[in-house]
Amino acid sequence: MSDTTTPKTQPLSPTTGEPMSAISRRAKGALWSLIVMDAAGTIALVISYAYLWGLNVNNGWAPPGASLTGAETDNNLPSTAPTGSFAVEWPFWAILGMVILATLAMWFGYKELGRGNRAGMLVGSTVALVISVVTLVAQWIQITNLPFGPDEGAYASAVILLLSSNIFNLLIVIFLLLGMVNRTRKRLITPTVSYQAKMMSYWMVWLCIAFLLGAVCTTFMVESPNLDPITFGTFTISS
Amino acid sequence: MSSTATVFGTEVPQPVQHGKPGGIMRRLNLVTALIGGIGLALVLGFIASRLVPSGASTSTFAPVAPDIVYLAVLVGWVVGFSVGIGAFVGPIRWLFARDLTHDDAEYLAGRGQGWHRYFKFTTDHKVVGIQYLVMTMVILGFGGLLAMLIRTELGITWAEAFSPTFYNSIIGTHGIAMIIAMILAVTGPIGNFIVPMMIGSRDMAFPRLNALSFWLLVVATIPLISTLFVGGIQDGWSVYQPLASQGTPAMLGYQMTIIVFAISTGLSSVNFLVTIVTMRAKGMTWSRTPILVYGVFAAALMGLYAFPFFQYSQILSLTDRIFDTSFFDPLQGGSVWLYQNLFWLLGHPEVYVILIPALVLLMEAMVVFLRKPLFSYKFAIAGVVGVMALSGLVWAHHMYMSGWAPAANYPFMLSTELISIPVGFLVMVLIGTLWRGRVWTRLPMMAVYAVVFNLMIGGVTGIYLSDVPADQYFHGSMFVVAHFHYMLMGAGLFGAMGGLAFYFPKLTGRLLDERTASIGFWMAFVGFQVTFLSMFVAGLQSMPRRVLQFDSQFNVSNWVSTIGAYVIGIGMLIFAGALIASWILGKPAPANPFGSKSLEWQTPTPVPLENFAVLPVVTQAPYGYGVPDPYDAELMKKDGDRVSPGAGTQ
Repeated sequence: MSDTTTPKTQPLSPTTGEPMSAISRRAKGALWSLIVMDAAGTIALVISYAYLWGLNVNNGWAPPGASLTGAETDNNLPSTAPTGSFAVEWPFWAILGMVILATLAMWFGYKELGRGNRAGMLVGSTVALVISVVTLVAQWIQITNLPFGPDEGAYASAVILLLSSNIFNLLIVIFLLLGMVNRTRKRLITPTVSYQAKMMSYWMVWLCIAFLLGAVCTTFMVESPNLDPITFGTFTISS
Repeated sequence: MSSTATVFGTEVPQPVQHGKPGGIMRRLNLVTALIGGIGLALVLGFIASRLVPSGASTSTFAPVAPDIVYLAVLVGWVVGFSVGIGAFVGPIRWLFARDLTHDDAEYLAGRGQGWHRYFKFTTDHKVVGIQYLVMTMVILGFGGLLAMLIRTELGITWAEAFSPTFYNSIIGTHGIAMIIAMILAVTGPIGNFIVPMMIGSRDMAFPRLNALSFWLLVVATIPLISTLFVGGIQDGWSVYQPLASQGTPAMLGYQMTIIVFAISTGLSSVNFLVTIVTMRAKGMTWSRTPILVYGVFAAALMGLYAFPFFQYSQILSLTDRIFDTSFFDPLQGGSVWLYQNLFWLLGHPEVYVILIPALVLLMEAMVVFLRKPLFSYKFAIAGVVGVMALSGLVWAHHMYMSGWAPAANYPFMLSTELISIPVGFLVMVLIGTLWRGRVWTRLPMMAVYAVVFNLMIGGVTGIYLSDVPADQYFHGSMFVVAHFHYMLMGAGLFGAMGGLAFYFPKLTGRLLDERTASIGFWMAFVGFQVTFLSMFVAGLQSMPRRVLQFDSQFNVSNWVSTIGAYVIGIGMLIFAGALIASWILGKPAPANPFGSKSLEWQTPTPVPLENFAVLPVVTQAPYGYGVPDPYDAELMKKDGDRVSPGAGTQ
């Protein structure tokens, strides 16, 4: 299945007759623009998480059972962290690890394609697809086994939405990887027309960053640092 | 690859052709989309009504069923319409490795399909431009009608025409409808139709994405209109929290509109950015790129980074409402300030998304009617880039009075006042180009005068509002309403009207009846001054905005404003009538009726599908009209070009 020969002339786009290098350049431009757009959305989520974590409005950041009371804190960090119902941290990193593995598999495939080995691309993208599907299942298991529901405070809301965003991203990646496998199989992705594989590899790197941001938030920004939070709903008029 | 096709004189291997060119897209059009959208909306709505217990209520004791059923209807509409118009055919074909042949692409571009192509998922950028034009006019008409209702209510101070809740609904719906229409007004029709030709390209970079952007706009519009029938958007166009969570189910319509519209705008932005960066004609360096292209580029870039914040503000609102999350519920650790920050992170850049394209569009027109180069092309670019760079740093000036981070007020005051400098550059370029010009007085030139006048008033009053102490007085008053109408309508809409008059012959292939259109234009201009100068007076007297009943001291200014609004309405109808009549009955337009040197005017009219038989090569800087400005002469020398009066094309 290896395609080791390199044609002397550039392949042309069947629809416009332009060289595929021109099409590839446009596609790369679109990739970077889409990453900016998706990054802006991810940043909006991270800002939401960090903002609510920092404010701890009405002491409502943590889910019931994990919140710090004024008596416990007295403006000092408690001697022991509450063990209430924050999410377990390792699954976030395990899922990030799986996404990284899928990305490495995709990059392996792309690099093999660059060496003229289309079979390597097929193997790489298939492995990436399988890992992504497994990751999706794992993500679903994590979200359905969280020790809180979406209505149990700001932390719960923010975590669930971050994980939902992960699921959305994984669904898109699985669709794209299915296309990669099928198109490689049907010889539409070849060593001479490989830009889609390259774009997919870069997109998966961005995906790793997005998952990393989520994992960092949910690991290092768990208990709110604001132990004297703003209280809304009660007002005092100073004399 | 089973065969070859001749594409612009080159033999190109083709993928396998499955069936007739276009495949299933031959059967899909607006009718199938409507059937799909309405059908699926009814089915999902029915299922939801059966599944949700009728007595269930939320934590705030609101009934659950109306929300769930309405959301199901909206989702059904979005998915069904998208399927029916063929939005998913491209991705599915890609997945199954059934790439388009040249014949497929020609079919999708609408070759030989007559007027039917305007009701299909057609990829030709000119068709998409016209679709945007019509859609923008429809949304403007809808928003304008609501504006007339608002002014009618405020004008008849001796009676109440509407209930308070309906009045609030038309205020909110008018606001968001007009914002959407104004975002589209230039980049939609002119950007799609003209920019690819202006840069010497045959189409946008991603034609199918272009069609998708337009049809997603159609998808987004219906939920907005539907809000009027389910309680209305009663919290203004910004739908602040926690009002939105406590409001009627119509909030879901608003949220769905924004979520889908943001996708449409995002995809459109990607397309514009890539088209402009990668598809400019040979020789069109950045220093030879027309200023309109810079303006559209800037608008696309601002839309790309800012719209997701707006979109997420609505996604979070939707989950708060449907899934009981607590992003904006202070009792559960949420914050309404978070909403305001996310909202205004788009809310202010959006002003420049509207303003910049309108201003640079007029610059394109005025060089033609003055037959002289643009005054300080470099300053125009600096203005566009400066606004783009600062636009993301000014959002919190909308929140001075919210109590959020008082210490941040002053940095934001500074950044807001700083942004008036690049905006000032753009005004300077407009006035500088007029300076010592011999004006060929056509409607687009009249729009230049009108916009400069309005921009001065809108800009100066904006400085008051950016100032924290002054804003404490003006915040929430009619003064603010008058100010932003001067910017968005006075500069944005009047600029777009001038630009439309300029490009009308190229867009429609007909000459515009400028006499009638000018009557409408100036009538709208005079009505505009009457309406909003009077509104400034009401604002200075402290009349609050978004109120149905007010003290009798505000009666006179409201009567005057309402009379002005009716004059605007009549003027706009005359202008629209002139457009429609000219489009149907106007004289056929020559290819370049104004003698412009830009590339888009060098194409035949009507413009052929491929725009250019042979792709052009640019050899000169833009705007080589007459004797160059001494400032620009330096630029021309550096560019190594010779500018001769009235000679050559780009």
